[in-house]
Amino acid sequence: MDILPAKTLEIKGLNKAYAMRGGRSVPAVRDFTLRVEPGEFVTLLGPSGCGKTTILRTLAGLEEPDEGQILLDGRSITRLPPHQRRIGLVFQNYALFPHMTVFENVAYSLRIRKARDEKVRSEVRAALKAVDLDEMGSRLPGQLSGGQQQRVALARAMVMQPDLLLFDEPLSNLDAKLRVQVRGELRRLQKRFGTTAIYVTHDQDEAMSLSDRIAVMNAGQVEQIGTPEEVYARPATLFVANFVGQVNALPGRVLQRANGQVTIEMLEQRIVVPADRCAASEVLVLVRPEAVRLVEATPGRLAGIVEELEYRGDQIEYRVRVGAMLIVAVEPTLGRGGRVAVGDRVGLQLLEDALHVLPAQRPAPGTPLEGVIRDATLG
Amino acid sequence: MTAVAADPSLARPGRGWVLACLYPLVALLVALFVAYPLVDLLARAVFADGRLSLGTLLRLLSDPYTLQVVGNTLVLGLTVAIAGTILAALYAYAMTRVDMPWKPVWHFLALLPTISPPILMALSLILLYGRRGLITHELLGMQTTALYGYRGLVAAQILSYFPFAYLLLLNLFRNLDASLEEAAGTMGANPGKVLTTISLPLLTPGLGSAFVLLFGYSFADLGNPLLLGGDYPVLSSQIYLTIIGMYDIPKGAALAVILLVPAVLLFFVQKKLAERTAYASVGSRGSTQHPQVRDRAVRFAALIVCGLVSVLILMQYATVFAGATTKLFGIDNTFTLRHFVAALTTSRAALLDTIGLAVMACVASAVVGVLIAYFVARTPMPGRGALDFMANLPLAIPGTVIGLAFALAFNHRPLLLTGTALIIVVVFSVRSLPYATRSGVASLQQLHRSLDEASTTMGATSGQTLWRVLLPLVRPAVIAGMIFTFTRSVTTLSAVIFVVSPHWSLVTPAILSQMDRGDVGEAAALSVILVVLVLLVIHGAPRLLRRDWRDRS
Repeated sequence: MDILPAKTLEIKGLNKAYAMRGGRSVPAVRDFTLRVEPGEFVTLLGPSGCGKTTILRTLAGLEEPDEGQILLDGRSITRLPPHQRRIGLVFQNYALFPHMTVFENVAYSLRIRKARDEKVRSEVRAALKAVDLDEMGSRLPGQLSGGQQQRVALARAMVMQPDLLLFDEPLSNLDAKLRVQVRGELRRLQKRFGTTAIYVTHDQDEAMSLSDRIAVMNAGQVEQIGTPEEVYARPATLFVANFVGQVNALPGRVLQRANGQVTIEMLEQRIVVPADRCAASEVLVLVRPEAVRLVEATPGRLAGIVEELEYRGDQIEYRVRVGAMLIVAVEPTLGRGGRVAVGDRVGLQLLEDALHVLPAQRPAPGTPLEGVIRDATLG
Repeated sequence: MTAVAADPSLARPGRGWVLACLYPLVALLVALFVAYPLVDLLARAVFADGRLSLGTLLRLLSDPYTLQVVGNTLVLGLTVAIAGTILAALYAYAMTRVDMPWKPVWHFLALLPTISPPILMALSLILLYGRRGLITHELLGMQTTALYGYRGLVAAQILSYFPFAYLLLLNLFRNLDASLEEAAGTMGANPGKVLTTISLPLLTPGLGSAFVLLFGYSFADLGNPLLLGGDYPVLSSQIYLTIIGMYDIPKGAALAVILLVPAVLLFFVQKKLAERTAYASVGSRGSTQHPQVRDRAVRFAALIVCGLVSVLILMQYATVFAGATTKLFGIDNTFTLRHFVAALTTSRAALLDTIGLAVMACVASAVVGVLIAYFVARTPMPGRGALDFMANLPLAIPGTVIGLAFALAFNHRPLLLTGTALIIVVVFSVRSLPYATRSGVASLQQLHRSLDEASTTMGATSGQTLWRVLLPLVRPAVIAGMIFTFTRSVTTLSAVIFVVSPHWSLVTPAILSQMDRGDVGEAAALSVILVVLVLLVIHGAPRLLRRDWRDRS
């Protein structure tokens, strides 16, 4: 297969609402703007109903936006019907045509475009080879396993050399082990062909391991766009922090700002962070469980009682009661499994590098702050 | 029994003897009331003077008149099947894929014929287009018998039976996985290509199924050929005339066998087609959210199709209603209720008998159907495959053939049932048994076996599991099946015409004989009463029953 130069995707001010019964309309996507560089792999991550699938279907032309523009290399495709777009979509249920063989499924787009027979044969063979299914061409989709069907769907989308490759939760029907294996293959293929790709999922592991950048979405809006590291280590909102992993959110108060440093009082402790991480006076200090160390409970140190302990093989998760809060800590097992028991009093050391501070007055949209903090800390 | 149940230490899991005893009983019932009458009928056709001989059949098949009747039947069936399938497909497409106003109205009107006796169509067509028809005679001043024969039969049968094909295709269109069409679109296929490369190939088995279904209905129809056939005889009306008019039972039986063979063949074809439609419907995570076509021309065309068909159907019912409420339709159009009064007095016995016997049949077919479904779907009983086959067989057999087979098979001791109420109940039940069994099997297969196992581990016998766990869960399907049995029983003519007797009369034969006597007003009034009764049961029974359940919980 020849490799065409990848395209830039721009989505500008996309709005889409669904009409409900009784004349009401429910916004599904609000003011969504995103620029995806050629060859980039961007994931839309969010809970179900956050609008991510609607965006994907709008890109494919299966839904029409109420407002906004979709540009490929600067050319608007907003009002084009799907069959004039050249956008490959891998469906959640694969949508393989049950009445056609694997070969004919993959050949479909070529046949529609009236490609010559030998071209069809060579390109389909190449596409099937790329997904390791070159022996399966004469089978019907119903005779393949879930993982194989998945790969046929991928080959079918790739063979049309799309300007843009879209994935709608393509791994959600696979079992856990296969999911990890297929996502690796998927990433390799996308890199190899260099196609610009948008991937939709609610699984943060998938988003982290696949993406160049992640757009975390909630209630039709983007909460944060950034690399996996940015989204995980420096979440823009408590919602993002919670959605991409477990987090302790500890309420604190700014005592003093001086020399580019901020001193924050939190759980009767004082911590110092660089000033650029914090502008407000009431704050939430976010710390991931793996950045909490169990240490000896010496006087003056943050300390608490171990209430629960969950053994996970490679890790142990501790829930430590400090006053009204439960702080979650995760430590690698490393042969020290039995060091701490439920009921023990332990000191807690928060790795200062890993602390992230958010202003406390901005709750996640639609969520009362109290509830979020409780949910965050109780895990 | 109560003593055993009172002592929990004696309640051992795995006792299935209640059901084990019921199995042979159910099998015996099915053998007696499904297999035996058919074998008996076949025997009458192929035995002459106590010897096996194909003489009667061969003589019939070499008779030019019989051949013409067979040819007529086939031509009529083909016409109705082709035209009906096209109409049903258009209607179903418009209802599922086109953005069109008043869909509930079009749906309701299209389904009206499924719940009324097919003779109602013949009646209203005669009133509108007959020799003294409102449209042909009064409006156009014609003196014509063009309605009687092929044309009238085609019109009546399409109007009567296309709704069944519409229902079948409606479900198919709805359940076709929308993402398949979307996928084709994203791969560059325009809507026309999507239709020809994806939708139509996936729908082909379903369209075939609708075709076969209509063919079968046309074959089995008796009321329309009797009233509208004129000089276009078909097999079903020929059987009736041979038995009732000439009292030539061997010939009638042989004709019935000739009708039976293609009917059974069609049944197997349809079964095969139905299996193939399965893969087109939505799998685990497919989508049934089909985009609605908003193109003005398409919307307009869809509205025309649905509107025209609906108006035609509505006109039939309005005509029958008018016929029932005027002194002499088309001649003396003064309003009167006397036909209703007459219908409710002279035909009161027929009405009450019909309702009573149909209700008994509901219960009987529900009980036997659920038991067969349980044996088939949940037990390893030997011979359950054969049982399933036998229970489904009546689906393949035209009503005329079932009725005749029953009347002949149970006409002598020790199984003298002809003339009794029991034979009518049994005919009703047997005709509905396939539906009761199939819906029972389908809903049991949706329940995971772990439910049975959970119940058994907690000490229940298989009978208790069926009664306490499975039955409550399949109850909606059973109720729907019972309503269906009721509808089918009170509206059928072909199946009962040979088994009614002076003691036990039914509404549809009464309508037929009133039509024969020229008592159009009373026939129309009875038809109206029947349709209203069925509508009340269909819409009322589920509501009543649901309230009942809520009160108890």
